[in-house]
Amino acid sequence: MDIVYSLEIGAVAAVAAILGSMLGLGGGVFLVPILTLFFGIDPKFAVGASAVVVVTNSVVGSTNHLRIRFTNPRLAMLLQIATATGAIAGALYGVLADPRVIYIVFGAVLVYAAVSMVVRSERHVTAPPPGAPDTLGLGAAFRDPAIRKEVGYIPINVGWGMGVGVGAGVISGMLGVGGGVVMVPAMNLLMRVPVKAAVGTSTFMVGMTSVATAFVFYSQGFIDPTLVVPAIVGVFLGGQIGSRLTRRIKAQRLALLFALILLYLGLSLLLRAFGIEMPGQA
Amino acid sequence: MSDDQLTGEPEATRATALGTAELAARTERLEPLYDAAVKTLFWGFRLGAVLLALGVVVALVKREPLEREADPIPEVIAMVRAGHASGIIDLAILWFMLTPVATVIVVAATFWRLGDRRYALLCLIVLAILGASVALALNR
Repeated sequence: MDIVYSLEIGAVAAVAAILGSMLGLGGGVFLVPILTLFFGIDPKFAVGASAVVVVTNSVVGSTNHLRIRFTNPRLAMLLQIATATGAIAGALYGVLADPRVIYIVFGAVLVYAAVSMVVRSERHVTAPPPGAPDTLGLGAAFRDPAIRKEVGYIPINVGWGMGVGVGAGVISGMLGVGGGVVMVPAMNLLMRVPVKAAVGTSTFMVGMTSVATAFVFYSQGFIDPTLVVPAIVGVFLGGQIGSRLTRRIKAQRLALLFALILLYLGLSLLLRAFGIEMPGQA
Repeated sequence: MSDDQLTGEPEATRATALGTAELAARTERLEPLYDAAVKTLFWGFRLGAVLLALGVVVALVKREPLEREADPIPEVIAMVRAGHASGIIDLAILWFMLTPVATVIVVAATFWRLGDRRYALLCLIVLAILGASVALALNR
């Protein structure tokens, strides 16, 4: 076991998790670009490692959200049909794709995330649509500790939500990210699920979505234990630090800095697709 | 005098409040499901972490280099039986990956037990999709 290499990967994974946790994006969004750009790791091994890390992170995170009933299990299972199917399709494409395609798609996703962070809309839905029909029995309620009240909601536009779920799954399968970056806004803005329930449900879902990705990458030999083990430990520790920092620091105040980091990583990946390396990269 | 004037709250607010109470009661009925899912995830993570720690310790004690590629699933058990650190670590990775799958099984069984056949069947569809990816890994 190369201890120095493992410590480096673990430290990088911890930084990725801290940034991801503070932004609510998950560690994978930062982990894959850092591993490929600064360690010269094949993007397919980086995606495989990230998928396993996302599963582990979801297993830990979901327990908290389930305990406080932020997770809607019926909604999660319904949407999971779409996201898991999309993830298998995305992963099957990802393992065969030219690495330049992965760089371009990942770069585009990061640039989009950076831009949307700067121009982020504050539209949040907090109340259920009164009297809305609930033919699928997806309505649920949770106690919001911030307002000390029960919050009930009935998801709407379920078909559209499943359509977005397929897209989120494809991105997740191809890039090894959780897909929460797509599903949380989709559930909140499109399906009118309150943000806390959307985050809780998405955290539960991304574990299952990433399982589909991880097994496809496993089937093709793209799971490298020398990457996965330190990354799991690093992301677990980084996630704990990140969640504590988030309580102390207003992440929104650092939005511009985070957006610049995402933009730098995104543009670096796009340039890498065309064989151009930025200074200091492997 | 209308009901609104008597209670001091508009009709829409009462409708929402009533809806929320019903939705809260519906969520409450899923209590066994939440508990079962939490237990599965909690113990899945704990056991996976123990396996991972054991594998790392064995690798350090035996000074055994880890493989750059996880072994095919059918070979993992043989590697564990032979006491190879890489086998134990591969098993830990697979354990973590199978924990959400086990959670889907538990959630499906609990939906069924609670009489919610529709969502029990939906869980089985999810399980079939995840099973397809597991089958791919088994046929490596």
